[in-house]
Amino acid sequence: MSIGEGKNRLLMKASPKIEKEMIENCKAGDQKAFAEIVLHRQKKVFNMAYRMLGNLEEAKDLAQEVFISVFESIKDLKEEIKFDAWLTQITLNHCRNRWKYLKRRHYFNSDSLEDPIETEDGNMPRAIYDPSDNPETLYEKKMIQELIQRGLLKLKDDQRELLVLRDLQGFSYEEMGELLGLPEGTIKSKLHRARMDLKEVLERSTH
Amino acid sequence: MDCERIRDRFSSLWEKGLTSLEEKDIRGHLSSCPECRREFEQFEKMMQWLHSVEEVEVPDGFFPELHKKIEERKTKATPGKRSAGRWLKLPISIKLPAQAVAMVAIVFIVLYLSKMMPTGIYHLKESKQTSSLPTSEQKSEQMLAHKEADEERKVLERPAETPRVKDVGQVETSAPAKERLDGSPPQMKAEAKKEEVPSPKSEIIAHRTYDLREQEEAKSLSAEPERAGKGFAAKEKSVVTLKPPQEIVLRISDREKVVSRLQELVKQFGGEVVATEGNMFVASLPTGTFSEFEKEVAELGSPPEEDKLIQERQAMGSLKAAPAAPGVRREEAPKRVVDAEGRKTVRILLIQE
Repeated sequence: MSIGEGKNRLLMKASPKIEKEMIENCKAGDQKAFAEIVLHRQKKVFNMAYRMLGNLEEAKDLAQEVFISVFESIKDLKEEIKFDAWLTQITLNHCRNRWKYLKRRHYFNSDSLEDPIETEDGNMPRAIYDPSDNPETLYEKKMIQELIQRGLLKLKDDQRELLVLRDLQGFSYEEMGELLGLPEGTIKSKLHRARMDLKEVLERSTH
Repeated sequence: MDCERIRDRFSSLWEKGLTSLEEKDIRGHLSSCPECRREFEQFEKMMQWLHSVEEVEVPDGFFPELHKKIEERKTKATPGKRSAGRWLKLPISIKLPAQAVAMVAIVFIVLYLSKMMPTGIYHLKESKQTSSLPTSEQKSEQMLAHKEADEERKVLERPAETPRVKDVGQVETSAPAKERLDGSPPQMKAEAKKEEVPSPKSEIIAHRTYDLREQEEAKSLSAEPERAGKGFAAKEKSVVTLKPPQEIVLRISDREKVVSRLQELVKQFGGEVVATEGNMFVASLPTGTFSEFEKEVAELGSPPEEDKLIQERQAMGSLKAAPAAPGVRREEAPKRVVDAEGRKTVRILLIQE
């Protein structure tokens, strides 16, 4: 059992299972059932959006849009068992569209890894990436997360998607294959390339 | 195993997705290659960081905001907007022809309106013009006046050898022809017949119709005719002089005798003497008896020589434009013509031999 698979299982445990009945009630227009679905999946959708866009406000708005789409089109969902895959697919589609929209408006142009990382305490000097150093002593946890987030935004869209789905959301290769419509082998090789690119981006940004 | 291939297996190595033999081979290379070892160490650290990234908490008020958004969309989706949305969702095979039809309709409407506008203005202008244009009666009267003027011009342009009396006769004979040519309605003709013998009132009106321009022309010409005009101006007020009078030049030996004879002739043919001053004798005669009167007059004297005739013609030209009363208006022209049809004025120049 790999580390990734273990993490994926952990996430699956953390996300309460949505019963078939709940989805059917929601399809019938039950507001309560919809509210339950939102409460069960809002963290997952919001986090995916945040890692894909790198902005909390945009992520919140996007996650809400995703649930509006769910509310409007859940009646078209034929297989209740595939609800999670369907929800992830809606989220990914919204993320792709929003990314394009923000990119057209040069939203990410000012966001550079050379800029100081903004923390709750204010602007701090740029963190120097050195894997030999102990991150717990040299960097705060939040700074590492910020660094990773900025690195993700420097990658290609599909690379970012792969990293978010596998390393941050804990999806299995099988699930990813279904979601992205790619064979597992392709996903594995693409993911490896994305990881190596992220490593390079982080190295460049710290030296 | 080369370094590149080893580095391609980093992800599999880290995820423990390799067979034991593969893992042994790669670990062996990493222990012998410091470059690859360092690379793997950095990769491992990066992966640790990546997996250490924690989930962010959903901001407060996420669900109430979502609920509010859904409610707003529900209220915004009014029937009109829904229909607009439906239109947008319609397939292009329906939308395109509908839009094409709408465009064609717009083009036709614009063309129709653009054509209508100038036509409307044109019609308005036309109606204005027709209102300002003279009536058929007025038109026919104007035509008559023009014809008369043309006849007069012909008479003046005739070679000097032609005897004056003949000219007069020609003019006389052309009068019925004018009537034939005249396209005036029967109503107008009846009116003209009624006024064959002009009333004093109509004479005054006709007199006033003398054009001011003609007056100016007369002034610019020789002084003699001007004086002559002044001489009988007072009496002229009550006489029709609208139509340029006929001119007869007589060579006489005894002026008084000829004048008295002329007066007798005028009375005989039912006319009246307008003025007798110096060598000028002006009389007004009914059209019917005018030709006979002319013949009688011709017998009284002999026609002048050529050069003198020319001089007389010039004088006639100036006299033709006799002074008009102030405040002359062109609108009164029709009466003048009618009156002129009823009576004829003759001017006889008496030249002492």
